[in-house]
Amino acid sequence: MDSITAIIFNTAFYVLMAAMALAFVRFIKGPTSADRVVAFDIMTIAGISVIVFISVIAQRVIYLDVAMVYALLSFLGVIAVARYLEGGL
Amino acid sequence: MIETILTIVLAIISLMAAVYAVLTKKTLNAIIASGIISLLASIMFLLVSAPDVAMTEAAIGSGLTTVVFLYALKHIKDRRSTHDD
Repeated sequence: MDSITAIIFNTAFYVLMAAMALAFVRFIKGPTSADRVVAFDIMTIAGISVIVFISVIAQRVIYLDVAMVYALLSFLGVIAVARYLEGGL
Repeated sequence: MIETILTIVLAIISLMAAVYAVLTKKTLNAIIASGIISLLASIMFLLVSAPDVAMTEAAIGSGLTTVVFLYALKHIKDRRSTHDD
């Protein structure tokens, strides 16, 4: 990997970890349940990005399938919680 | 190096989410915390190079467990409110 590309890659990875940690701080503090659901959604999207970064680090294409499965299924939990807060389900 | 830092961050967040799930008063927050723990466990399975286990954990933990828990919680609350009347 090129040196500039490596610097950009590492910086993006650290920023991603910081995003996950900050979203978790909002999850702990959030006064209402809606804040916690949104924080969970942010952590899910950051987790999908982390999986893609791990796939680049480990040089294995099969890891991208895990990211795809998670991206296809992760919306389900958020929608279920939103429906529960609305009163349905 | 960077995998070690990621593992440490994930472990700390997972532990704090578990403690939060135990200590919280509302059951809905505990269910969301279990979803976070499932997400972090999936990433950790990937870090120890087990993509099939990570895929199963993602499908079961994120898709099925949250919906089933919420369904059960809704039914428990409905039954409790009808018994109170």
